Amino acid sequence: MPERCVSAIAGYLPLLRIDRKAASAALRWSGLGGGVGGRRAVAGWDEDALTMAVEAAREVAPLSPDRLILASTSGYFTERSQAAMAVDALALPRSIRTGDAAGSRRAGTSAMLTALEGREEWVVAAGEKRFAKAGSAQHLLFGDGAAAVRIGDEGAARLVGSASLAHDLVDIYATRDHPEPYAFEERFVRDTAAEVISAAIRSALSAAGLTAAALKAVAVAEPLPNTWPAIARALGITVPNAATLVLERVGDLGAAQPLLALAVAFAYAQPGDLVLCAGFGSGCDAMIFEVAGEVPGARAAAALLGDGVALTDYSRFLSLTGNLDLAWGMRSEFEQKTQASVLERGGRDVHGFIGGRDSLGNVQFPKTAMPVNPALSGSEALQDVRLADSTGRVISATADRLNFTPDPPFDFGLVQFDNGARVMMEFTDRPASGFAVGDRVRMRFRIKGQDTRRGFRTYFWKAAPVDRPALENG
Amino acid sequence: MMASGIRDKVAILGMGCTAFGEHWSRGADDLMVEAFEEAIVDAGIGREDIGAAWVGNALDDINVGNSALPLAHALRLQTIPVTRVENMCATGTEALRAASYAVAAGAVDIALALGVEKLKDTGYGGLPLKTKGLFNDLWMPYGSAPGTFAQLAGAYAARHGIDAGDLKRAMAHVSWKSHQNGALNAKAHLRKPVDMDKILGAPMIADPLGLFDCCGVSDGAACAIVTTPEIAASLGRQDPVLVKAIQLSASNGWELGFGEWDGSYVRNTRVAAARAYAEAGVSDPRREIALTEVHDCFSVTELVTMEDLGLSDEGRAPFDILDGRFDRGGAQPCQIDGGLKCFGHPVGASGLRMAYEVYTQLLGRAGDRQRDGVRLGLTHNLGGAPFNSVAAVSILGRG
Repeated sequence: MPERCVSAIAGYLPLLRIDRKAASAALRWSGLGGGVGGRRAVAGWDEDALTMAVEAAREVAPLSPDRLILASTSGYFTERSQAAMAVDALALPRSIRTGDAAGSRRAGTSAMLTALEGREEWVVAAGEKRFAKAGSAQHLLFGDGAAAVRIGDEGAARLVGSASLAHDLVDIYATRDHPEPYAFEERFVRDTAAEVISAAIRSALSAAGLTAAALKAVAVAEPLPNTWPAIARALGITVPNAATLVLERVGDLGAAQPLLALAVAFAYAQPGDLVLCAGFGSGCDAMIFEVAGEVPGARAAAALLGDGVALTDYSRFLSLTGNLDLAWGMRSEFEQKTQASVLERGGRDVHGFIGGRDSLGNVQFPKTAMPVNPALSGSEALQDVRLADSTGRVISATADRLNFTPDPPFDFGLVQFDNGARVMMEFTDRPASGFAVGDRVRMRFRIKGQDTRRGFRTYFWKAAPVDRPALENG
Repeated sequence: MMASGIRDKVAILGMGCTAFGEHWSRGADDLMVEAFEEAIVDAGIGREDIGAAWVGNALDDINVGNSALPLAHALRLQTIPVTRVENMCATGTEALRAASYAVAAGAVDIALALGVEKLKDTGYGGLPLKTKGLFNDLWMPYGSAPGTFAQLAGAYAARHGIDAGDLKRAMAHVSWKSHQNGALNAKAHLRKPVDMDKILGAPMIADPLGLFDCCGVSDGAACAIVTTPEIAASLGRQDPVLVKAIQLSASNGWELGFGEWDGSYVRNTRVAAARAYAEAGVSDPRREIALTEVHDCFSVTELVTMEDLGLSDEGRAPFDILDGRFDRGGAQPCQIDGGLKCFGHPVGASGLRMAYEVYTQLLGRAGDRQRDGVRLGLTHNLGGAPFNSVAAVSILGRG
């Protein structure tokens, strides 16, 4: 069997971070909210499992893989493939194999194992934006975010052993009738999950012919904070768990948790180090990698933990996490029905942000039969140009407080791309000072419209500041 | 080859305009009838003398109804050709343009142009929300009208190196002046003067436009009856108000999609104005045009329009505004009737309302707000957004 490797890794986190203790304080009267410290990452209203997974996958898919797996327990569509949408958003050939992995938080690592046991180039992207009710421990414990790995025959992190255990341990569950997680007693979960996770890790070590002492870094997803110490004690592992750091800094990212934690572990690994990754949920997947050199993307992904902007308004947190249904007024009743025939016609260019270059070199979006270039007077076929990876500058901007948006204000304006294209578009990840003429922007894949009446959403790209600020006191 | 245009080929025989405002007790048909009856009495003709009619209605198909039939029904027009036109906020001028073309072409002797909008049944302030087309909705922002025009301000300030605070004060003066004027107009929607501090301190609608930088929307109708100067003379009008020019320019996507425009001006206004001045034979608009009624949907729009019409040098409009050049008693008053800001903005009627004020001034009928020696007046009617617009410029005059 050929060697299989992780050749690149990436993460994506939304802009906002809420301090868990401060959030709990807002619920002090109720005694609810949990006592865990640290912060959780909070997705913008226009982000979901797909948009975040796409953002992470962008980093590891500059060249098309042969296969793309989207892993999530919180994908918005239950009948419509997230992976197929991601193919268009990433502008990948529609001929690649795709798959959607779901059903447990283990979906990300299970897909990785399949890729590691398979052949060809794979990208596995995991994203989560899990709903949890305010007051539940999960509301503050969960975080929103994504991670992606590229797997193939060559790469800096070679698989040396793995194991997988299926175990129907119900620590939490969600159903169609009860979509928010229902959690069982924490002491029971910690004790039992530690046994399951330890057993899987032992099997992986055995498969690799290694002892626990050989591990230089670990990334083991915990079902609850403070599960790791029992596992570490049972196995005799002394190195810290990168997943604990992820949990503390940005939250439990569900299917993306072991992937982002693995990136953090890789970021600090030295050549020759052995790194353990484990995903938990209805069992456990464990993988051990030998690192031969720097894993591309790992340091950038680890650095994400220090970025962000503090979210200090608890009611806005409730709104962004689907826990506060405000009366937004008649303007929010705007009809946003999408027709499938229109999506079929234009969706690929919209999701992939593909414009066109005319015969004189001007780039425009969207493509049209007659080019916008005034020097041309007849119809012509335009050559595809992807704008998603281009940067630009703001020509005009406003913060619109009249137009409905679930998270005011509605920032939008005209963006001049460096390649000559210009597009009137929405802005996102608003900096404290807002957007101004001349600001540099990059493109982010986001939710464009939400049809609340029919439970449908559309996606497009939005302009965001090029750089993320470092989290103050981070 | 330059077309000869319609200068002096069309006379306005009569005009009418309802009060603009929140007509809770009146429907679109009531408003159409009122504007029409004022115009037909003014024209001194009978309904049966009208050979063709155009109705402008921009936004609310639910309330007025689509097609031209609501006008035919409201006025009980007797099987003459009636057509609806729509070109966003430039709709009113579009109706007048169509009627004028019909007369100038000799297709009919007398034509009717009527604009109407019944916006106050939407249930909320501002314009009703509309799809931009099913494909465009997949990518175009659903920005509000103030959101689209607000972007002029930042781009203008960046281009001319003007301090945002100075620009905000000039914008506030635009609104202050229109409130002063609206207070004197019995047909205006908003009739209260407002002081500068209140304007500057108002809640933000779309940065940097505050509440008083924005016109509201209204119910209302305005109407013109046009004919040839010869027929006007035969009806006893020896020195009628004449159409000197009506010109229109429409975006083709250049501003939005081609990398030349800097967002600080409205190209279509410049193009339409240049054509209108040529058609009317105006070589020095600052001297020859006695007054203007421009599309002040937002204060910054009026500010930029002063330059786009050539009435201020580029980068100088804020200073001309603060100097009072466009005030009621200034050298070249703008919005002497209160403008969109205070007379009101029933979208499809607004272009004809502007013409109504110029017509009234040209005939010396403007009472307390009458200017002396008005021989030429200009209307500017702008639809859409700065980056995707229809601009209409018309010049009316006598002699």
